Amino acid sequence: MKLQPTGGTPSPFEAIRIVSTSKLPANDGHDWSAEMVAVAQRRDRASFMRIYDHFMPRVCLYLKGMGSTAAIAEELAQEALLRLWQRAASYDPALSRVSTWLFRIARNLHIDRVRKETGWMLVQHALEAEEADHDGRTGSSAEAYAEHTRLKACIDRLPATQARLVRMSYFEAKSHHEIAEELGMPLGTVKSSLRRAFLKLQADVRGAA
Amino acid sequence: MKPAHHLDPATVVAFAAGALSEAMAVVAATHLAGCSHCHEQVRDAERIGGVLVEQQQPDGAGAARREKLRAAMLERLDETPVEAPGLAPALPAAPDPDRLPAPLHPYFGTSFGALKWRWMAPGVHCIRSAGTGGGQLFMLRITPGRSMPLHSHGRGELTQVLRGAYDDVLGHFGPGDVADLDSEVMHQPVTAAGVPCICVAALDAPLRFPGWLARRLQPLVGL
Ligand SMILES: [Zn+2]
Repeated sequence: MKLQPTGGTPSPFEAIRIVSTSKLPANDGHDWSAEMVAVAQRRDRASFMRIYDHFMPRVCLYLKGMGSTAAIAEELAQEALLRLWQRAASYDPALSRVSTWLFRIARNLHIDRVRKETGWMLVQHALEAEEADHDGRTGSSAEAYAEHTRLKACIDRLPATQARLVRMSYFEAKSHHEIAEELGMPLGTVKSSLRRAFLKLQADVRGAA
Repeated sequence: MKPAHHLDPATVVAFAAGALSEAMAVVAATHLAGCSHCHEQVRDAERIGGVLVEQQQPDGAGAARREKLRAAMLERLDETPVEAPGLAPALPAAPDPDRLPAPLHPYFGTSFGALKWRWMAPGVHCIRSAGTGGGQLFMLRITPGRSMPLHSHGRGELTQVLRGAYDDVLGHFGPGDVADLDSEVMHQPVTAAGVPCICVAALDAPLRFPGWLARRLQPLVGL
């Protein structure tokens, strides 16, 4: 599955160009965690449906890229959003962004239901239990929001090859050796480029915090 | 005990992206369950995933379909949530030294004591897990003070030490340490004195062993 849903298959370079230069929608600067807090505290349906309208098509696209059929992608995306509504009470805006939460839920649903990997959900629950035991980094919702904006800018600034490898990992779930084979790159180069991309994004986010 | 050897950041990204083979993901998760350093890296990688999902540009097509899904969602908001079965595994009150790390349970059972080891070679026992869709997943038990044959890896190997220890050119690997090796590394682990070294390991492709143990290990790794 490729990144763009219509109009043939863009080359990975086109896909990167589309991502890095496309105009972001008007509500891009929206503070989704504030909406999420309204959902958590007041079961605010209007807030939830604003989150739904923004994220539903994006989660759908993500799941199709991962290899779900259009019908399964719709079904799993609906379920991911419903879980967001049902589990809103456990949402902590200082710990994670709405987009991160949804990413995790959608990824987990895909690996559990489509790839049917027996241990994946157990692993995720074990990790969550462990996470609850020790304090992660904490910060205010405003800090998390600023961090998110910086991360976005940093992703846009990645060199083309690194951006391409990052996207093949996240949107096509391609392993290092699959990427190496597809692009005719040595495996070591794939790994070192991904490593550099990740460390750069991470340094940007943490350094400015 | 804090691990001294961690996951490669490229492996962290692949885990968070859901891009590791099942076998590799199980070993990575076993490490993550005991390593807050790597766990935090995974959380960072998941934030990158969240931003990437949000950055996608959906086209405007399918408005009628979207209205229908939206109406369906509104109707479901009053549903009572159904908890999926087995979502909260009961954690033992006290750490049980016989208990295997939770990520290994679906593949190897819950305790060291119940493992059904198979003899592979003098001083080497092994269990291969059948249940993984991608890659090879197995546990090894090697007696203390034993030298493993020199080998390299076809695509990548991830080995987490559970008990005992071994040394190779990359250093000393004890409980909680992970060796995240790519295909270029040629190594020859030697197990430390003391207790047998028990590891869980995943391969994306069969090992390349020169020499006698190849014939022993080939059935094991499915060559
Ligand atoms: Zn670690």
